[in-house]
Amino acid sequence: MRFFAAGCRANPQRRPTRPHRSTPRLHNTGELHTFRGVAANVSDFRLPIFNWVQRKTHGRIDPINPICILLLCAIGVFFIYSAQVYTGRTQWMQQIVWIGLGAVVYTAVSLIDYKIVLKYSHWLWTLAMLGLIAVLIPGIGATRFGATRWIDLGFFSFQPSETGKLGALVMAASILARSKVGTVRDSLLTLAKLALATGLPMLFIMFQPDLGSALVIPPMVFSLLYASNLSKRFFASVFLAFAVVVGVVAFDVYRYSKFMTDNNLSFMDDRGAYEKHSWIPYLKDYQRNRILSFVAPYKVDRDVSWNLRQSLITVGSGGLTGKGWAQGTQARLGYLPRAVAHNDFIFSVLAEETGFLGSVTVIGLFGVLLANGIRIAAKARDRFGTLLALGVTIVFAVHVFINIGMTIGLAPITGLPLPFLSYGGSFLLSCCMLQGLVQSVYRFRRDF
Amino acid sequence: MQKGLVSVFRLALVCLVVFASFGGIAARLVHLQVFERDELVSEVERARKRVRILHARRGEIRDSNGNLLAVSRPVVQVGVDPHSVRVEDEPMLPHLAELLGLPVEKVVEAFNRKTVTSSDGRRVRQVRWVKLADGVSEETYEDIMLLGIKGVYGNRQYRRTYPGGSLAAHIIGYINRENTAVMGVERYMDFYLRGQDGWREQERDGRGGELAQFRGREILPRDGYHVVLSIDSVVQHYVEAELRRIVDKFDPVGATIIVSDPKTGYILALANHPTFDLNSYNTADIASQRNRAITDIYEPGSTFKIVAASAALDLGLVNPQTTFDCSLEAVSRRGRLQRLPGDTHHYESLTVAEIVAKSSNRGAAHLGILLGENRLYQYARAFGFGQETGFAFGGEVAGILHPVDKWDGLTITRLPMGHAVGVTPMQIHSAMAAIANDGVLMRPQVSRRIIDRDGNIVAEFQPIERRRVVSRETAREMAHLLMGVCAPGGTAPKAAIPGFEVAGKTGTTQKIIDGRYSRSHHVGSFIGFFPASDPRLVISVIIDDARLSGTAYGSTVAAPSFKAIGEKLIQYLGISPVAAPPVGSLAGGPDNFSLNRDRIR
Repeated sequence: MRFFAAGCRANPQRRPTRPHRSTPRLHNTGELHTFRGVAANVSDFRLPIFNWVQRKTHGRIDPINPICILLLCAIGVFFIYSAQVYTGRTQWMQQIVWIGLGAVVYTAVSLIDYKIVLKYSHWLWTLAMLGLIAVLIPGIGATRFGATRWIDLGFFSFQPSETGKLGALVMAASILARSKVGTVRDSLLTLAKLALATGLPMLFIMFQPDLGSALVIPPMVFSLLYASNLSKRFFASVFLAFAVVVGVVAFDVYRYSKFMTDNNLSFMDDRGAYEKHSWIPYLKDYQRNRILSFVAPYKVDRDVSWNLRQSLITVGSGGLTGKGWAQGTQARLGYLPRAVAHNDFIFSVLAEETGFLGSVTVIGLFGVLLANGIRIAAKARDRFGTLLALGVTIVFAVHVFINIGMTIGLAPITGLPLPFLSYGGSFLLSCCMLQGLVQSVYRFRRDF
Repeated sequence: MQKGLVSVFRLALVCLVVFASFGGIAARLVHLQVFERDELVSEVERARKRVRILHARRGEIRDSNGNLLAVSRPVVQVGVDPHSVRVEDEPMLPHLAELLGLPVEKVVEAFNRKTVTSSDGRRVRQVRWVKLADGVSEETYEDIMLLGIKGVYGNRQYRRTYPGGSLAAHIIGYINRENTAVMGVERYMDFYLRGQDGWREQERDGRGGELAQFRGREILPRDGYHVVLSIDSVVQHYVEAELRRIVDKFDPVGATIIVSDPKTGYILALANHPTFDLNSYNTADIASQRNRAITDIYEPGSTFKIVAASAALDLGLVNPQTTFDCSLEAVSRRGRLQRLPGDTHHYESLTVAEIVAKSSNRGAAHLGILLGENRLYQYARAFGFGQETGFAFGGEVAGILHPVDKWDGLTITRLPMGHAVGVTPMQIHSAMAAIANDGVLMRPQVSRRIIDRDGNIVAEFQPIERRRVVSRETAREMAHLLMGVCAPGGTAPKAAIPGFEVAGKTGTTQKIIDGRYSRSHHVGSFIGFFPASDPRLVISVIIDDARLSGTAYGSTVAAPSFKAIGEKLIQYLGISPVAAPPVGSLAGGPDNFSLNRDRIR
């Protein structure tokens, strides 16, 4: 880490050789210690926002992330094609359009100094919350597959949960960057603010309901807290509480399963029968079913079980080198459900057709992307930059792990897509925006 | 703005956690894609590849006029893919249930049966096809399709139906639910009828649908050939109607009527009582499915007298005018006293013609003694007794005709009158047909030809001569004598058809009940043919245990039916009376013949 910081220090000396066209010295970032100061300086003669847009700052740009992202996007297009080759749908073309738009968003976000995000984090958060509330209002939110997750804008459907995640991340990083965090006792107010800032969007997302997206937030928050040097005792107690809750719920679900089997009851049709025997009356039987369907899917939900089994077959039958591009029978013939093959289960298609080598390549690309994100987080000398880059990386890590994990039976089946590979415009743009922030952190970071 | 407070160590730890989870994914991938691959691949193949049998359409069975006796109709098996159904189709379900003739609950249940769990309870398979109904007609299927319920569709199949119901049931036979031909023509001609199933190697998609573009090798089915029988539906109808009349009147245990063409051996009609409906063979008891004409044996009684009489004539031992003393109760033979059987009437002396016409047991015994054991046995064998007729259906029995060394002392006098011998109706019918056919025994046949779908003849079944039994002259002479049976003074004037020379022989035997000849249970029969000088039809009527007051003589119970059928067939087949006999052909002389004709008129 020291090496990188040292290398960057040379930049201020090089800068005079690359003068900016219109605003020569007004935003010398090296001298700006607070954002208020900047705003005051520039407000005399131009809109403040432009001060935050710099095409050539310090002459540095991180090439690793954009390359990984482009590769992943290209792979995504090929396997969206492959997943739909038999049905005749051509959403790979639309995906290319989205990738083009994504590139624009990525470039735009990486051109903006991330510190403006810190400055306006409250507004960003409020906007995100408005979106989350709006989608819950009947008439505005569009309901598909039993969940109200979309706002139909005509030319495309917008998912407020994506901006909700972003808002929660920005707000959390901003709170932690502004506050002193140490022992639990000292940080109580910060923790309370944090709980409100991330708990509300989580709650609204759960209302949609979109449990998968909501569950991305807690790992992100806890990793930010952890990186902010919150005392170990906090994490020890949280972990203990978590373990106790998981243990109690697990035992309760085990009792539930045994009760239903012993009394010859149907998990789907006799819901509610166990509730009065349970120690945790707040937990409903349908929720127990969800937990159980991850551990023993064949017991509960036959459709989920079928998808999982077919996904395992699809991945496994790929073998070491795969069946060849667009040659995978499982996806083509619709054993892998066609509705999800090109988005949630794109990894299965890829694994079937490129085998272990292809899957590991993709996982490797994600690994490089995430490792580089953490490297950038470590490079940033200000807490906000670090926390932002780390938060984005954790959000991506959760998406990648849950998505790939569900196709190979390591994680429960939820509707979390795979970043850059899965088909979907809203999610791709959101991913580009988040990665643009990381690039922005790299470019506008403080070096000391 | 706080700075420098992010712990690099903690960041590294977070990094480690992220990479540990990625390592977990990689490890799981190795497990799935390297170690479990083979098992998973084989599961893929099992689910996808399938060889589908393309069923050949079974050939039809037709009567001699081309009427359908058995036909494979295309029907539709209607089912539902529970995963394709839409909620908005729910109001249609009662209509669907009504069209299929099912209770609504059953239909709803089928629509909701989405998965099955394997027997060990660990694997769940999606149900893509739940059968709703079998054998739905094309019209009903079209109506069902008009309802437009998504996920409801049908597979075409063939269902064997028998338009005649019980008509000629024992001849046609049936195929059972496993498509195994069980009896009758269906079984005997199965080789021609069944055709050749084809097959198709195909791949299925996740919904179980066939993928035409991945179709593998394919062998098209070859439909079965049609079999044309010698059975004439109209004749068969007459016969069965007469049989029903007999059943109504006498309620017998069993009855058989056979009509055939003596010159070719082709069977025109064959009916048994009890019988069954081919379309509901599964509810019929086994006894009613038996083709008694070939599987049951009985003591023929007097009808068997044609053997001794024609043998004696053929060997030149007697002529029709040879007389025998029928008042004797016993004769001396080989130094012993041989008792002769009695007659119902007392006769003094009878000519051979009278023995036949009056059906004298004692006269027949005289003829038997005259012939001797060996010649009597040889002629009985020659007429086809004690051996299968070759009528090509399973279950035919040879009957009982003991070789001479097994005979007891009475056999020589009892066999000529049709005792101590077991015959099938088909055997005695064939024997009589041999006399009608100038002495040549034909094989009884029911199939005429095999044709393909375009009507081209694939195979013809020509008449098959088994052997010459007696000379042409003897046969004609015998036919002439048998005309006396139906003449006044004979045993069966009730069989006479005005204007036609009817030849025939009655038979009445006591049934053996509990090891003794019963006085109240009889088998009455009449076997005859006409026109005697140029026979067109042989008709046998055999009634087992007719219930009536008095003895169920063949002349009483069977002869009227012979006449009734004969009269109908004369009209239907356009049989004209033979104007004049071939000159000099009858041993009895023209006078005798014309005398008979005059009497009939």
